[in-house]
Amino acid sequence: MSFSERAHDLLGRLVRASAFERFLISTSALLLSVFIGALIILGAGRMTDCASAAYTIAVPGKFVTTTLPGLVPGVVKSVLPGGLWPSQAVFAMGFCYDPFAVYDLLFLGALGDVLNNPLNSQFATTIAETTILMFTGVAVAVAFRADIFNIGVQGQLVVGALTTGVVLTYVAPPLAGLGVLATIVLLPLGLLLGGVAGGAYAAVPGALKAYADANEVITTIMLNFVATSIALFLVSREKYFKDPESFANQTVNLPDVALFPSWLFRARDDVSLLAFAFAVVVLVGIWYLLQHTPFGYDLRTSGLQPDAAEYGGVDADRTIVSSMTLSGALAGIGGAVYVLMVLGNFQTGVPDYGFDGITVSILAGNNPLGVGLAAFLFGVLKSGSIVVQVGSDVPPTLVGVLRGLIILFVAMPEFFRMIGQKFGSFGRPGEPVATDGGSGGGSDE
Amino acid sequence: MSDDRRVVGTARSAVFSTYDRLFVGRGRLQQAVIGIVLLAAVGLVAAGLLAPQSDAGRLFAVLTADSTLAATLRLSVPIAFAALGGIFAEKSGVINIGLEGLLIISAFVGIWATDVTGSVWYGLIGGVLASTLLAGLFAIVCIEFRADQIIAGLAVWLIALGLAPFLSSVIYGSKNSTSVDTFPTLPDMGIPVLSDAVTAPMPVVGVAPVDIPFFGALFDASPPVYLMLLAVALSWYTLHRTAFGRWVEASGENPKALDTAGVNVHRVRYAAVLLSGVLAGVGGAALALGVGQFTGNGPTMVNGKGFIAIVAYLFGNYNPVGALASTMLFAGLDATQLTLQARDVFQVPTELVRTIPYVTVIVVLALFGRTRIPSAGGEHYESGEDE
Repeated sequence: MSFSERAHDLLGRLVRASAFERFLISTSALLLSVFIGALIILGAGRMTDCASAAYTIAVPGKFVTTTLPGLVPGVVKSVLPGGLWPSQAVFAMGFCYDPFAVYDLLFLGALGDVLNNPLNSQFATTIAETTILMFTGVAVAVAFRADIFNIGVQGQLVVGALTTGVVLTYVAPPLAGLGVLATIVLLPLGLLLGGVAGGAYAAVPGALKAYADANEVITTIMLNFVATSIALFLVSREKYFKDPESFANQTVNLPDVALFPSWLFRARDDVSLLAFAFAVVVLVGIWYLLQHTPFGYDLRTSGLQPDAAEYGGVDADRTIVSSMTLSGALAGIGGAVYVLMVLGNFQTGVPDYGFDGITVSILAGNNPLGVGLAAFLFGVLKSGSIVVQVGSDVPPTLVGVLRGLIILFVAMPEFFRMIGQKFGSFGRPGEPVATDGGSGGGSDE
Repeated sequence: MSDDRRVVGTARSAVFSTYDRLFVGRGRLQQAVIGIVLLAAVGLVAAGLLAPQSDAGRLFAVLTADSTLAATLRLSVPIAFAALGGIFAEKSGVINIGLEGLLIISAFVGIWATDVTGSVWYGLIGGVLASTLLAGLFAIVCIEFRADQIIAGLAVWLIALGLAPFLSSVIYGSKNSTSVDTFPTLPDMGIPVLSDAVTAPMPVVGVAPVDIPFFGALFDASPPVYLMLLAVALSWYTLHRTAFGRWVEASGENPKALDTAGVNVHRVRYAAVLLSGVLAGVGGAALALGVGQFTGNGPTMVNGKGFIAIVAYLFGNYNPVGALASTMLFAGLDATQLTLQARDVFQVPTELVRTIPYVTVIVVLALFGRTRIPSAGGEHYESGEDE
């Protein structure tokens, strides 16, 4: 057997292993999204005006990333001015945005100068975003495992954040003098409040699905709108919870003892390694809960085989409500972390952590441990979008487009399987590959 | 038999058939809610006529204001078009949860194309093209690559939610676009006979159609409203009276039978999903061109209308006319809250009033959501013949 045959056989066997296949599909989806994203950046670069092209494509020739005067977009086709590659390029097109530069800012900018200074403020932002996305990602994942689409993570996060922010404004100030002791009491209390509120808010669509057959996709999306409106109502009026000294719609700032300690990072970077560590512990805890406890077993089987689960004595309705509640509680804790680590109070206009959580979970194959990795990737994107905003003219909402593309491509594993079959020889039926035990093609067809 | 008795008989049977439709075969809770709603409606009308100064009377005045029907019709357009599109897609077996995304993308492209071409009609066509393109992508992903329809639909929504504000920022430098022309209303359109007819006093009553209390709004609407009514009628006809309608139905209920009968299931599903893109595109473009601007902050100007549309057609039991009726209910609630805000009749906080349509959607879904989706809905179908 030649080396390449051996390699193909190995690859084929690995691809059949489902975890590895998921990883491959997620990676391919990611790369494809980045590629389509680059096309969108180029396309957008033709729709705007600029003094000189940031990026030029010349045919025949090669991709050039230098500024060429005279190739301003708006001219659909321009012939290169004399002096530059004479007689070679017959066609050249300039673009206002350079996709390579944008991706450089997006992916590497988010890390900052991490090798020399791991505590730099851009990397701090990345860690903070990652921490919150770990909660929303695992919240979506828990529901997904029970075959429930919790699109309401955004609303549950808002309700959790609101509850934590509001209640602590009354509880925290009297305890402010106690120092570390106050933190030991207030931090768990804040997280608990967020979890309970988020869980209760998610239990509603859970119960509606279980007992009234109301589609949870619709109800949770509607509850997102309701949560945003209620938060705005409560935080925009001084007779309720608005900070009277601020023009913004926000609650009174919480005392520092109620917040996550910043430890190694600077306080103004709004990040906490303690919160990050807590998020890691929660992910591992949820993984253990799903894989190694009776509750997790019930949840997973009702997701995979609802009829079999019911036959095996699982109360399907109760499982729906409890998995939704758990999912919402995780989202609510994420909201509490957002308040206690990033904001220091509650403000309206909460970023789309819930929707990013959907992508994080889908990218991670709904595996709590994978969520950690996917959340870091999205933390990089979110943090990098700020770098893009500062360092280029490309709107940072580009990340929103990538978010949707990634979900779309992960949702179509068949596409990558077809491509894999076309370009790799593994798994192709009828191919006389000399395999040792005949374990290859055919057995899984 | 005298004419009187025949009239009484017809009225009695009408009352009984309405009663049957409303109450028979429903659960206690549903019956109670329907009863309470009916009683409240009767009470409201009575209060409006007998005690116009009471709170209920003033609410009745708000509900019967010209502006309320006008706003209801205007707000119905995007929801009704998206709902019609959703009916075709879902009946064919492809659950299109991405209607919201189709509305968003067509709202933006509608404005942009109007801005570029200078004509609202070209803008409308531009919006329809964009929405159909995105629906086509969704169709390929679902039908060719067997993607999970719910997840792919969510992706369509999120792609549009990212792409429209992105393009707006690229072109206009802000998530909100510049202002463009809006659709003129019927009297201003300058259609030779029609535009004059609706503003001129009618021969016998001496009132112009546009000045008729409440219903005058029907004659003073913009083209998308009339397109909506036309689309509802055409959709009903297509679904219930044509071969294509039967194919769509069979493709969702029993694709194997359709395949056996020699009709390509994939082709029917492609047609239905593309049609949902066309219809949602009209709705989204009309929404934006009614305002004259695309606003892309937060959930954008579409603001959940695509999801409300899904509930509207579920509540309307996949019937275009029923979908229009439930659309008018949700849009009517939205219009009422707008009029309430504008008139400031009751001192109710706007943020909470704004949630009324969303809460109603949840209540309706919880009470009446147990509709029967097509038996092959959400499932991939692979024809056996090429094996």
